[in-house]
Amino acid sequence: MTFGLTWLLTLLLIAFPYPSFLLFVLPHFGYLFVTWWGLMRNYQLSMTLLLVSSLPVDVLYGTALGLHGLLFASIAYALTLLGPSIRQVNWLRQSTVIFVVLLVASAVSYWVRTLTGQSPEFHILVLQAFFSALFWSPIRWLYDFLAQYTQDSEAQRQ
Amino acid sequence: MRPLFSETSVAAVRLIVAVTFSVATIFIDSRFDALTLVRQTIKTGLWPVEQLSFLPGKLVGELIQWSQSQNLIVQRLESIALENQRLKTEQLKLHTLRAENAELRRLLGVKERVNERLLQAQIERLSNDPFIHRATINRGLLAGVMIGQPVISADGLVGQVVVTYPNTADVLMMTDATHHLPVQVTRTRERAIAVGVGRMDRIELRNLPDTVDIVPGDIIETSGLGARFQPGIPVAEVKEVIRAPGQPFAWVVAEPLAPLARLSLVMVDLSKGGS
Repeated sequence: MTFGLTWLLTLLLIAFPYPSFLLFVLPHFGYLFVTWWGLMRNYQLSMTLLLVSSLPVDVLYGTALGLHGLLFASIAYALTLLGPSIRQVNWLRQSTVIFVVLLVASAVSYWVRTLTGQSPEFHILVLQAFFSALFWSPIRWLYDFLAQYTQDSEAQRQ
Repeated sequence: MRPLFSETSVAAVRLIVAVTFSVATIFIDSRFDALTLVRQTIKTGLWPVEQLSFLPGKLVGELIQWSQSQNLIVQRLESIALENQRLKTEQLKLHTLRAENAELRRLLGVKERVNERLLQAQIERLSNDPFIHRATINRGLLAGVMIGQPVISADGLVGQVVVTYPNTADVLMMTDATHHLPVQVTRTRERAIAVGVGRMDRIELRNLPDTVDIVPGDIIETSGLGARFQPGIPVAEVKEVIRAPGQPFAWVVAEPLAPLARLSLVMVDLSKGGS
């Protein structure tokens, strides 16, 4: 239930029609979704579910199917390894580590996009990683709230 | 002793499987276009999510309309009525010109151009990926939209339909880095290929002979080669002609006539069959 709700919220945030001048300062909500699951709930995260949930993200962004699957898997793996050491530190340190992880994911994204005929500019991908890391704290709060809400409602039902 | 199958190695194996699957999917989708049905199915399933995400924007629009005073609305209606009168007069002139053109073509023995069947559509959203210039329009297969049909606006060409869904369609804009368009310069009939570079305000004509007769201010239109677009649709205005000393080729930078980033209403040319 938590996965479904957070995923739906992520899709809504991605599908929202933002004005075009905001595109360069928008965080990648898909990355933040995986970051939360990789850091906070990695024991519940299934790679198959992650791959399947990445396909609608590809469709919404218009990228080649599988691109976000590759990025999501890499981010989730890196954060699962780093999780125990950075889960307890303050938000600034968390954001810094997340920025570095997303930077590596951006490099992979740059490489795949170039191979599929696009002409990406790396500094825009860096900006996207930076703003994603910046938005980590409010998004984490939002997902935590949703997770708490689903847990409470499940407990009430039982 | 280090365990042979630690948790990390299981995670690494999972990662390798996921990466292999993803790379295979990317390869199949980008090289063979074999996953169109999967894309269509997912997009159809996402329809409620998209409609829900448009809701705040629609509500704000409604609120703005509601808060506008009656005076403003009356003024706007008057100006629209005036504009309508002017367009009607222009249309009369256009009818006469069309008839003259058809007569001249008949006299010259040139085949008459097929009249456009235009379907009005609204752009629902632009892709939020900064490197992908795609727009989703609110007309799809059910309205007769097919892959390959040109999409135009009141100012000029926008792009072409690349994926169709029952109620919506994806339009690849001409500024996307994967879009190539056969064009000609209106003044000199010089032909070239316009290439998108991933910027909304720019397309480029590359590898033109150094002696090419193009100057800033020239209008570029579709040439009709490739039979995908009608000839004569305005595309862009030349902004810069770069002739590097010692280089055999010139480079032309042009700005699309249609304001692609701010467009809301477009038209799909249904007379062109899909591919």
